[in-house]
Amino acid sequence: MPTEPDDDLVLTLRVNGDRRRLLIPANRTLLNLLRQDLGLTGSKHGCDVGDCGACTVLVNGAPRLSCITLAAEAQDAELLTVEGVAVGGALHPIQAAFHEQVAAQCGYCTPGFVMALKALFDERPDPTDAELNEVLGANICRCTGYTKILAAARQARERMNGRST
Amino acid sequence: MLPLPTFSVLSPRAVSDAAQMLTDHPQARLIAGGTDLLPSMKYGLFTPPTLIRLGGVSALQEISVTEAGGLRIGAGVTLRAVGRDVRVLSLYPALAAATRTIATSTIQAMGTLGGNLMLDTRCAWYNQSTFWRGALGGCLKCHSAPEGAICHVAPKGKGCYAAHSADTAPGLLLYDAEVELVSTRGARRVAVAALYGDDGRDWIRRAPDELLTAVILPPPPAGRVVHRKLRARGSIDYPLLLTAAAFDPDRGPRVVVSSVGPRPVELGGVAEAWEAGGVEAVAEAAYKQVSPLSTHVWPAPWRKKMVRVEVRRALEAAISGV
Amino acid sequence: MSEPDSPVGRRGGKIDGLPKITGAARFTDDLTLPGMLHGAFNRSPHAHARILSIDVSAALALPGVYAVLTGADLPTPYGVIPVAQDEHALAVGKVLFIGDEVAAVAAVDQETARRAAALIRVEYEPLEGVFTIEDALNPDKPLLHDERRRKGDTNVLRRVFQKYGDPAAGFAEADVIIESNYDYPGSTHVPLETQVALAQPHPDGKLTLWSSTQIPHYLHRIVSKVLGMREQDVRVIKPDVGAGYGGKSDPFANELCAAALARKTGRPVKFILDREEVFYAHRGRHPTRMTLKMGVTNDGRITAADFKAWAAGGAYASYGVVTAYYFGVFLPLPYKLDHWQFESHRCYTNHPPCGPKRGHGAIQPRFALELHLDKLANAIGMSPDALRLKNCVEPDTETSNGLRITSVALKECVDKVLAASGYLEKRGKLGPNRGIGLATSAYMCGALHPIVQSEMPQSAVQICADRSGRVSILSGTADIGQGSNHMLAAIVAGRLGIPETDCVVLEADTGLTPVDLGSYSSRVTFFAGNAAKMAADQLYAVMRAAAAEKLGGEDVVMLGGKVFRESAPEKALDFAEAVQLAEERHGTLGFVGHYKPPKIGNRFRRQSVGPSPAYSFTAQVAEVVVDPETGFVTVERIWAAHDCGKALNPTIVEGQIEGCVYMGVGEALAEEQSYTKHGLHRAPSILEYKIPTVFETPEIITIIVESNDKEGPFGAKEAGEGPQLSTVPAIANAIFDACGVWMNEAPFTPDRVLKAIERRDREARRASFDGA
Ligand SMILES: Cc1cc2nc3c(=O)[nH]c(=O)nc-3n(C[C@H](O)[C@H](O)[C@H](O)COP(=O)(O)OP(=O)(O)OC[C@H]3O[C@@H](n4cnc5c(N)ncnc54)[C@H](O)[C@@H]3O)c2cc1C
Ligand code: SF4
Ligand code: FES
Ligand code: FES
Repeated sequence: MPTEPDDDLVLTLRVNGDRRRLLIPANRTLLNLLRQDLGLTGSKHGCDVGDCGACTVLVNGAPRLSCITLAAEAQDAELLTVEGVAVGGALHPIQAAFHEQVAAQCGYCTPGFVMALKALFDERPDPTDAELNEVLGANICRCTGYTKILAAARQARERMNGRST
Repeated sequence: MLPLPTFSVLSPRAVSDAAQMLTDHPQARLIAGGTDLLPSMKYGLFTPPTLIRLGGVSALQEISVTEAGGLRIGAGVTLRAVGRDVRVLSLYPALAAATRTIATSTIQAMGTLGGNLMLDTRCAWYNQSTFWRGALGGCLKCHSAPEGAICHVAPKGKGCYAAHSADTAPGLLLYDAEVELVSTRGARRVAVAALYGDDGRDWIRRAPDELLTAVILPPPPAGRVVHRKLRARGSIDYPLLLTAAAFDPDRGPRVVVSSVGPRPVELGGVAEAWEAGGVEAVAEAAYKQVSPLSTHVWPAPWRKKMVRVEVRRALEAAISGV
Repeated sequence: MSEPDSPVGRRGGKIDGLPKITGAARFTDDLTLPGMLHGAFNRSPHAHARILSIDVSAALALPGVYAVLTGADLPTPYGVIPVAQDEHALAVGKVLFIGDEVAAVAAVDQETARRAAALIRVEYEPLEGVFTIEDALNPDKPLLHDERRRKGDTNVLRRVFQKYGDPAAGFAEADVIIESNYDYPGSTHVPLETQVALAQPHPDGKLTLWSSTQIPHYLHRIVSKVLGMREQDVRVIKPDVGAGYGGKSDPFANELCAAALARKTGRPVKFILDREEVFYAHRGRHPTRMTLKMGVTNDGRITAADFKAWAAGGAYASYGVVTAYYFGVFLPLPYKLDHWQFESHRCYTNHPPCGPKRGHGAIQPRFALELHLDKLANAIGMSPDALRLKNCVEPDTETSNGLRITSVALKECVDKVLAASGYLEKRGKLGPNRGIGLATSAYMCGALHPIVQSEMPQSAVQICADRSGRVSILSGTADIGQGSNHMLAAIVAGRLGIPETDCVVLEADTGLTPVDLGSYSSRVTFFAGNAAKMAADQLYAVMRAAAAEKLGGEDVVMLGGKVFRESAPEKALDFAEAVQLAEERHGTLGFVGHYKPPKIGNRFRRQSVGPSPAYSFTAQVAEVVVDPETGFVTVERIWAAHDCGKALNPTIVEGQIEGCVYMGVGEALAEEQSYTKHGLHRAPSILEYKIPTVFETPEIITIIVESNDKEGPFGAKEAGEGPQLSTVPAIANAIFDACGVWMNEAPFTPDRVLKAIERRDREARRASFDGA
């Protein structure tokens, strides 16, 4: 185990299923790693200091604000970004519901909401409205008044649990 | 995007390694969830040359039952894990409740209990960008404030009144919790009640080479402890006022108020007030003792009025839970 | 006009919705060019100061720095409004607010650019600041724009006074007259995407600029002007934009400096604002002090109004001249009012500049007037809804200030919102600290008169039918999330009877798309929609003629992707076949349409700001709970009925209404641009500037009302701004119903509400004391 600090580090991780190995400076945030080093620009930045949720990604299944996470925290981790949510070109039910409900107006907040909701649904397949709200409360949307986003989240929940809407 | 200053990173796997690194690199800062540290560093509040990552120290991530029948919660346990743990929920519901009011559900999944207890004090004149603080002329808490910088909250004073804002602290204080601090010199325990000091610049009684490893909770008290948080919005926001109240039918009430100065304060004279006039008298005593300052954007006079309301509501809830 | 399976009126997904959901959408900061440099600003730490010297040597010496610009490099003043050219890309001579841009750096990466910007040494001579309306009106205070100096001048950018009818006679007729003061706060847009620009210089001297703008056309003109370039050498492209709400209507320093730095270095330059900088760029709601006096007869006829407004507008004019007119022009609408006058002042102060924010210039007077109506209704013992309905404007009339009113479904909006909310049963009966309130409003659908006077069309659309059956639509409009691309596709597809997904919209590229004046004043659906309709009509006519010849009859219809005779639907052509037939006969199928608003005669020549070809109408009811001990207001539910003319896609229209209500709730409850006494923004972050989270956002029940405007495309008007006007006063009126206090000052923060309640209790105690 190195006890001398590293200015640069070799990072090995899996991003949306792909194995990656990169040399990065130690002060790289996970968001910059994604957007600049890996060209995955789907994750957005609305504040860059942890206030808005637009940069939310999943690290080993847990939601993280990538703008205030060191890339080093993703060592050996499994990363999922909005680009990896639609598998094999098929929309995830959350995405399908977002589309149908027009829950994305400008769409800048959307990746963050999709990822935060994905983390919830992966953990609790049939969340209550209160649980949905708690997750929506972690992200800012300035366009929709959250109304269509909540409608989409509910629709996704119903569909994923085999109930019709 | 806001750049982070340059630094190097250390990634220990054991508590002893982390302690050794802290000794070897006295300028280093520990980083757990990073949800306080990294925004502060993006705002240029400090520029440590080295960060010691605690995420890989698995020993910090455990919750266990103590011999005394209480709980030992590792400093690295996330707020979310604390808030969902069935033992915490049944024995220390006010702690669980406090974690669920912190920031947002995503930040709760990132931030740790240790990081919360070590949360920097906050002030509307300080938690701002380098440019902003430069335009203001800095203040006493800024590490590179120009000569003649003043406190904008109490311009005539010499102290800093930045507000303790950690949601879990008031409840832990009433649960008589202790923290374990470890350095290469050994381990020691400090009561949460004795962990904090009176100046916003130097608010924590932790030696620079010490690492917080765990929170140790004794068996819960007889009565109920209640946590209340006054905040502008239903999520994201730091507290405008924190109140915790405990009520033990035999020993009467205890009340802690926080986010009004550099440390959580257990109010004095509560037993007497309770004897004399019950809940209303305790609320009135709190109102007289606590004077919020303009450390927050929302006005201090209103926050002062809220002391009475929040203390009353907290105490009523504690009593009704008995 | 629309058919059952027509895209017009169909709910659901936008034609360009998917990329935003999969992460494939490209916003400006998602674009990268080889060799790209990054920009950063040096900003003023003073609210008002003279620049004595600027030393950029240390910045230039930093490795990785390619160029530094100061005001001297870009001396041409500009401004969107022709009569108010008071801005520079970088400060010239003086700085006027904390955050004003002084110098710009281009460097190899953002870290270096920021470090270099901080190394620039600027020597200032601080000047006395102008921070309040009193300061701005005081001739002894320094002028922000001292080149404007004439004797006795103040920092008033524009004073407007207009008078209609005979207000004195109107007041004489009144049985009850009430006069009150109102205060409306400054607030800002906070689009989640910050301003971003990327400029690419070309070896032939031309320039391409990608930017998060909502008005590519004005940006195009002003970049050319400030850089001294021919307009045909500048191409402005708007990629996906993370919304604007008015906040991306001005040209910004980062856009101009990206372009100038790219020209200077010969390399692409990206220039992005961080969140704090967006609070300085601002252009948001004007903080406005108002007095309103109104008279009413005992049977509820409004007889007269006298309105005064003073706005502290910040350091530059932006659209402020227009704001000063809007304050008054929209005051009466949606009511009939014959005798009234207004006087407004738009002032300069040493704060970040105000500008157009959703409901521009109409939000503040609406707040005052709708509260005032409830006060008057109270005074004469009439129900607030009855007072409103009694004075409501009628369709196909003209207002006293010469606005031509066409379609109006306000009565229907009011009826529906009352029924849905149970307002009549609930008002005054919800028990202590719970209340219900009503407000109504009207808003424009674009301006008759363009900002830059001209007889040219204000919108144009070009369409082309491809032999594959695909229809491409080229338009200079800017979709910033409101759904204008879908709107264009729905109109064209609706006319041609094809699915809107068979249309491709190419928008907002001044190198390719015909000029459109942009996304502001709720003009896009009405103006660009009509232009699209005009283009589609021509294509329709050509295709129909070709099909009629082939099918041997005139009763041809185009529906469901097929072209057939109504009398013989079994012999249908595919749309693509019909295109090919038409192309054989006509040649390549390309058509242009445009929209110029009708020349509407106005008795008042000076009334060039405000008239619109049509107006939208809204009625809203809010239900609130007030915590009388803390002052916290919870808005539980808002019912919003909006006359949008025709909902081309009801899901999108609902979304616009919901977004408006949401933004209104933010302005009602907590949002406020607040400054220290030195002019420093107190809360330039999403953490401290309190925009609502999901927990403060009420349940929003939208009710779409369709008045089918005769001139709107398929009858459509607007939905993107108007619905916000009613929200704040509906909440204020609900607070009165809940606890008997008039909130004349917004936002209704716990502190203000609690003070109002304490005042109410003091007065009640005094009254009972006096009575005893
Ligand atoms: C938008 C936003 C809102 C927030 N709102 C709240 C709120 O409402 N209430 C609240 O309490 N907090 C809030 N926070 C702060 C923060 O999220 C929590 O306090 C969290 O618990 C901090 O834990 P962390 O692990 O992320 O700490 P870090 O950021 O990793 O560390 C915080 C501090 O503690 C030190 N530290 C960390 N671990 C140890 C250790 N084991 N031993 C010694 N020192 C250590 C670090 O060096 C640092 O100084 C908010 C943060 C954000 C970004
Ligand atoms: S209390 Fe005073 S010294 Fe401390 S951070 Fe605030 S302004 Fe600075
Ligand atoms: S960009 Fe990460 S939380 Fe806003
Ligand atoms: S859709 Fe624009 S911010 Fe959410």
